[in-house]
Amino acid sequence: MKEKLEEIKTKGLGKIENIKNITELEQVRKDLTGKKSELSKVLKSISDLSSDEKKSIGMLTTEIKTSFIEKLKLKEEELIASLSVLEEPIDLTIPGNKVNEGALHPITQMRNDLNDAFLSLGFEVYSEDDISSEKYAFDNLNFAKDHPARQSMDTYWLEGTENKEGAEKLCLRPHLTGGSVRYLQKHGAPVRFVYPGGAYRNETTDARHERAFFQYEALIVDKDISFSSGMVLIQTILEKVFGRKINTRMREGFFPFTEPGYEIDMECLVCGGKGCKVCNHNGWIEVMPGGVIHPNVLKSASLDPEEWTGFYINIGLDRLVMMRYGVDDVRLFHSADLRFLKQFK
Amino acid sequence: MRVSLNLIKKYVDLPKDLTDKQIAYDMTLRTVEVDNVEDVSLKYHDIVVGKILEVKKHPNADRLKICITDIGEDKPVQIVCGGSNLYEGEYVVVSKPGAEVVWHGEGEPVKVKETKMRGENSYGMICAAEEVYLDDFFPADSETEIIDLKGIDCKPGDAIANIIDMNDTVLEIDNKSLSNRPDLWGHYGIARELSTIYNVPLKKLSKYELDKNLPKYNVKIEDTTKCNRYVAVEIDGIYEKESPIWMKSLLSKTGQRPINAIVDITNYVMMTVGQPLHAFDRTHVNGEKIIVRNAKENEELLLLDNNTIKLTTDDLVICDEKDAMALAGIRGGKKDSILPDTKGIVLEVANFSASTIRKTGKRFAEKTDASIRYEKGIDTQRVDEGLSLALELIKEIFKESKIMKYNDVYPNKTKNNEIKVSEEFLDTRLGKKIPKDKIEQILISLGYELSYNKGVYDIIVPTWRSTGDVTIKDDVMGDIARILSFDSFEAKPINITIDHPIIQNDVLLTRRIEEYLSSRCGFYEIYTYPWIDEKYIRAAKIDISKSLKLATPPAPSLAYLRSSLIPGMLEAIAKNVRYYNEFRLFERSEVYQKGDYRPSSNDEILPVQSNYLIGCIVGKNAKEIFYEAKGVIENMARYCHMENIKLEKKEKPNYADINAYLNITKDDEIIGSFGLLSVQTMSDAKIKRTNVAIFEINSDKLNAYASRTNKYERLPELPLVEKDLSILVNKEVEWKTIEESIKSIVKEIEFVDEYKGSQIPSDKKSITLKVKMINESTTMTSEQINEKINHILKALNKKCGAELRTE
Repeated sequence: MKEKLEEIKTKGLGKIENIKNITELEQVRKDLTGKKSELSKVLKSISDLSSDEKKSIGMLTTEIKTSFIEKLKLKEEELIASLSVLEEPIDLTIPGNKVNEGALHPITQMRNDLNDAFLSLGFEVYSEDDISSEKYAFDNLNFAKDHPARQSMDTYWLEGTENKEGAEKLCLRPHLTGGSVRYLQKHGAPVRFVYPGGAYRNETTDARHERAFFQYEALIVDKDISFSSGMVLIQTILEKVFGRKINTRMREGFFPFTEPGYEIDMECLVCGGKGCKVCNHNGWIEVMPGGVIHPNVLKSASLDPEEWTGFYINIGLDRLVMMRYGVDDVRLFHSADLRFLKQFK
Repeated sequence: MRVSLNLIKKYVDLPKDLTDKQIAYDMTLRTVEVDNVEDVSLKYHDIVVGKILEVKKHPNADRLKICITDIGEDKPVQIVCGGSNLYEGEYVVVSKPGAEVVWHGEGEPVKVKETKMRGENSYGMICAAEEVYLDDFFPADSETEIIDLKGIDCKPGDAIANIIDMNDTVLEIDNKSLSNRPDLWGHYGIARELSTIYNVPLKKLSKYELDKNLPKYNVKIEDTTKCNRYVAVEIDGIYEKESPIWMKSLLSKTGQRPINAIVDITNYVMMTVGQPLHAFDRTHVNGEKIIVRNAKENEELLLLDNNTIKLTTDDLVICDEKDAMALAGIRGGKKDSILPDTKGIVLEVANFSASTIRKTGKRFAEKTDASIRYEKGIDTQRVDEGLSLALELIKEIFKESKIMKYNDVYPNKTKNNEIKVSEEFLDTRLGKKIPKDKIEQILISLGYELSYNKGVYDIIVPTWRSTGDVTIKDDVMGDIARILSFDSFEAKPINITIDHPIIQNDVLLTRRIEEYLSSRCGFYEIYTYPWIDEKYIRAAKIDISKSLKLATPPAPSLAYLRSSLIPGMLEAIAKNVRYYNEFRLFERSEVYQKGDYRPSSNDEILPVQSNYLIGCIVGKNAKEIFYEAKGVIENMARYCHMENIKLEKKEKPNYADINAYLNITKDDEIIGSFGLLSVQTMSDAKIKRTNVAIFEINSDKLNAYASRTNKYERLPELPLVEKDLSILVNKEVEWKTIEESIKSIVKEIEFVDEYKGSQIPSDKKSITLKVKMINESTTMTSEQINEKINHILKALNKKCGAELRTE
């Protein structure tokens, strides 16, 4: 009897070992541990044996059954682990499906980055309209009466107004600065705000010059602040935009609406300040002019220059974006060319 | 402007350890932008003096000679040369191997090599002037003439750069950065800046004392508002000759072409002190009288090339008794030219008002070195500096010359500006306290005179800064700040006061819309120009009666400014369909229309300007892209958190297809349009083989919600029952009718699909819709569901004539 049981055990374990799938497993489970299994038959046939023998055979049978159950469980786990939802393996190198396309213009992306940075410093966002007048584009900003920028070679005047003067002579704004006086007239001081937008100048275009371009200007007007605070602002902004500290230098510059005025150069990111074609071999790129707001500009905004002061910074958005990506032709920004725009996700 | 450091060093002793690069850097930071630092000797490297010891025939060439030449090395060298003026004992210019020369004065420089010419060795070359940038110094009479250094103090081996004073560095200064500094248009002004930057003394200009008893030269200024001062000096013993090498050298380095000694002297003076001068041939001045007056109507000025220029009564001219000789401060005419028969001159040193020069200069497009300087505004005292230096140089170069007559008519003197500046002002605005002695050193060195009393400086501005440059205390503060260097000020933190929230809902809404379109709906953002091509205005059928035009447009066809974003978008689509079949674009920009808009002050009336938003979907299947675009508009309000906008059919936009357009409305006002581009518009805009769904909204009319406004809905406790129903209706029945007919009896209704085709009668369409139903308090039983469906179908049948479609 014992030999028979040993045989059942060996055969049974062998069967379990050879199971290929879950269906087979269920069949084998039934065959080995079910009511009609050989083990059950053995148990049924031992009723005429002595109680001692009954006991030992019974124990042996139970032991074999337990080992079957354990083995089956292991086998089941093994089989489930090797199951797949796929009928057959798939090509893992086929590219995934495309996501929704579409993107903001790189200029807008930069503008948003700057807006976020300035917002965290308590600046409001303002936007002036594209069409302004000589009064706001030049007179209020302390431009001399016969300043060359007022000429039609430089500024786009509107037909029918080009021979008028001041508030009646209209133009596409040649810079954003005129908006500063509009805002100050409306809101007074102290105040800090940014005003991004497009500016337009009658120029011959090439890879570095455009008739329509983007600026981003910021102005703080307050009491007792010094121009040296401008430096902090600029460094904060550049660090935010480029994600790391950028070397800058501040040098003499002249603008009618500032006194003193300065130019802010950043190290050329193309050559790391060593000097290359992009930076005209001097390692620095002019990115933002700025300066202390001229007393005459404050006066045109009805603010007392004895009481108030402040400073501008004006960021050339086109140039900053060109630096960020290494874009080599400024005209691409207005090209509406998807081959270009699709590069900025 | 090109600045020679050698000339600068005549007026200021710069610290010894300074490199030229450092000077340029310090100047860029503090005064003006230096674009380039040029070592002018580089052009002349390996070019030396040679002495021809022996001239031999070349065995294989008639035109070539073999010259045994001493070039200051151990042994004489053999050089083959084709020069026509070679002789033994001649001092010549030799380019040694390694030097760079320009063949026959044309093209790029070429490196000289030791070579064989027709079988004979040649160590370098004996040069003609044009081959080694020396034509200004040694003008040649014929092409084959080589430079003969006769009369020049030199010995074999001397570097030619030394002989012509080219061991020098030239700083190239960006003229734009000089535009507000009339004092810097001469070397002496730059020297003054450097003396201040490095705190070293500036040497005084010498003063030439004129004999007080000289007879008067007859000068009359008719318009004293335009001419502030006119000095005329008649000098005899001046004739046409070459100027000395050092003077030619300075002119050549600073970008002036040497002409003859007297013209060169006037240019040299201008380059040195910034005062333009003019010399007239004495015998050409009819009646020995100079009149400064406005030109007469139709008066003409005869130029050296026998052309004439027409003058107007606004132009100031220098005349003799008969006619105009020169356009004041801008250019001379034929009469003032120095010619071979010149024996004496009348020297003009004058001051003309900046606005006159600017006005006349603008009409004659060409700018001259003189007019550039005058139009910046020069002080009248500069005449003295120019005159002294000119007379000194004339005495030196024309030893036999004699001053015959003199006059100084001086109606307007440049006054010194006077400014009070308090220490307190400087401390606050500069952000730190600068020691008093430092402030004084800077200002005095720049030429200011100052006295200090109880915390206040009384400042007298030098005349050369008083013509508009320095007028208020901020200008003085600016001078201190820049000389100290802006970079030397510690960056001061900016305080942020939080006293009110920054709420700018319109700014946020714009951003949400831009992000909705680009990130959620797959549009690419574009920017187009505000001026638009008439071709696309016509294609979009835009009414131009309210459009604005530019006075001087970028091109004749680009004169109109946009009153809609449609034309610009048409152009963008036309460009991109060349490369892509399907794409989506959007733009948000301003459009303009004639009108009355006063954003800031009552006297300023601007055109009406509004921010518009335009979007388009380009694709082959017109119906599909129509519904795609419709979805973009319908969902905008919900996703962008703004007040609702609707789509209603009211009036056909000019660009739209007759069968597919809607208006975008808000509170019953039309604020935009939407539709498929018409066949005509696409053909006019050359948009081929595709279709376009386009929408345009006046985005100023959109209103942001101040916060998110939707309420949370409790999740249903009972399951919603969903059923898809396919019904057959007549073709003309609109979805809206179907929806309205059962809206009140179901929880939700959704459009699924529309079908027209062979499987159903041709006057019918099949609509599949999804209805969602729910009971108040218990789960719906199948009987209840069937009952509800029957109810729905009955309603659909009654209101739309719908039948349930059976497969």
